[in-house]
Amino acid sequence: MAAVGASPSTLTDAAEVVALLVLLSEFAMLRSSLSRSQVRLYAFQSLCVSVLAAFVAATRHIGALYVLMSLSFVLKVIVVPTIILRLVREVRVDVTASHRLGVASMVLLAIVLSVFGVFVFGRLPIHSRSLPILALALAAAVILVAFLLVIVRNDVVSQAVGFFSLENGVSLASLVLAAGLPLIVEVAFLFDLLVAVVVFGVLMRVHHGRARTLSTRALDRLQG
Amino acid sequence: MAGTELAPAEIQVLQDLTILVFAPFVSGAIAHLEARLQGRRGPRILQPYYDLAKLFRKETLVPEDASWVFLAGPVVAFACYLTVPLLIPVLTAYPLPLGYIGDILGGAFILALAGFAVALAAVETGGPYAQLGSSRAMTFAALVEPSILFITFTVALVTTTDLPYFEAAQVRSSFGQAIYPAHLLATVAFFLVVLSDTGRIPVETHASTLEFGMIDEARTLEHSGPPFALLKWGSAMKQLILYVILINVFAAPWGLAGSRQLGPVLLAIPIFIGKALCVGAIFAVIDNSFSKLRLFKITEFMAAAFLLAVLAVLVLYLGGR
Repeated sequence: MAAVGASPSTLTDAAEVVALLVLLSEFAMLRSSLSRSQVRLYAFQSLCVSVLAAFVAATRHIGALYVLMSLSFVLKVIVVPTIILRLVREVRVDVTASHRLGVASMVLLAIVLSVFGVFVFGRLPIHSRSLPILALALAAAVILVAFLLVIVRNDVVSQAVGFFSLENGVSLASLVLAAGLPLIVEVAFLFDLLVAVVVFGVLMRVHHGRARTLSTRALDRLQG
Repeated sequence: MAGTELAPAEIQVLQDLTILVFAPFVSGAIAHLEARLQGRRGPRILQPYYDLAKLFRKETLVPEDASWVFLAGPVVAFACYLTVPLLIPVLTAYPLPLGYIGDILGGAFILALAGFAVALAAVETGGPYAQLGSSRAMTFAALVEPSILFITFTVALVTTTDLPYFEAAQVRSSFGQAIYPAHLLATVAFFLVVLSDTGRIPVETHASTLEFGMIDEARTLEHSGPPFALLKWGSAMKQLILYVILINVFAAPWGLAGSRQLGPVLLAIPIFIGKALCVGAIFAVIDNSFSKLRLFKITEFMAAAFLLAVLAVLVLYLGGR
């Protein structure tokens, strides 16, 4: 009891809790019906990933990770959500409620997917020195649930947020597998993300300009 | 005085009495706090006791077509609520002799039996709202069941048994255990289960008078007099029993009596009531800050609890601890 927070297993537990929060926020994105709250959840998820990056940087003494962490913090927690929120506000479409399935069945489907991801990746004979293997399994679950989010929700904001959170899952996995990945590769990842933001921004604007909605259902309709 | 040792049977009776005597108090305190948070003066904290006393003095009215089941239901339910405190750690950290006759699932079965008895008595009346309430209550109880099962799996994987005393001891054993991810997930999942089982706001409006939104409350509409008093008292006891499991098994199993001395055992009562009031305050705040879910959206709430419970088992599977 005396060495609260100091023992390595307690720290690992805390890291596991943060990794779990990443997955839970992915689930929350899947079920939330407001575009605004989806974007905020994405910001929270990115914050969790940044905290994990800081944790790995501190425990394994990798200086480059600090740079990466602050870069991704500024971009993914502040800049990207602000841009998306502003776009959402401009088009004044608030409630999307674009579920193709009922929320409960969607969550059950996502549970099945994440169980699959966790079991498959948890079985891999990988030993990481930076984070527990559980974090890798959770990252796999995050990626699968993000795919589900993109598939079952048919509005542009969900698909953008799903894509961005996919990137969060990938960075979580890379933190476990290759914490010392060269800075330049990771910065390229972030650059990719920025390009995606631009693309989705254009998509949102153009689509809303043509169809007066953010729902992708309008794309099925014949134009004549 | 403080040196006297109590027999285990006496402590067991004391556990029952604690739940029996203080359940209306905790309900009254929560109702009072809730009213205060809404800017009302609210009922007195002791109001539930006055209500019970009043109801026990009233006559019992029975619907024409109802049989003995109508009157037996409340009594059976009350007996069930008196049985569960024998199985769970209300006051002591060490298992009492009767604690071994039932595990967590056993306790859940007895609570389910109580719910079944009340629902049966409600159906017996033929009143439409009472029937609607019991049908809804049974449906949602079935939907909560998977979460309870997975929480039990978590406990079983952590302690290799599913006795509540051992889970509490495990949590007490180290601080790391208390913040272990699987444990946190199971605790939050159980918190959501308690929220729905005590008829709190995302699921049901507590003390509402609108029959269409009712679930648990509607079942008792046709009862009157002493049986109604037993039902009200029973539902307060059920709430406190669920708080006991939430607090003394999962969330904060500290402050329980470690010996059979009279002093520590008596001291455990106010400590427990204090913890129960803290949990009640959290529930009152939740009641005031969220709105009730539509009836068909309640499954979403249950799905969230199920998600947390499943994740707890997954984490244990991979964490291997």
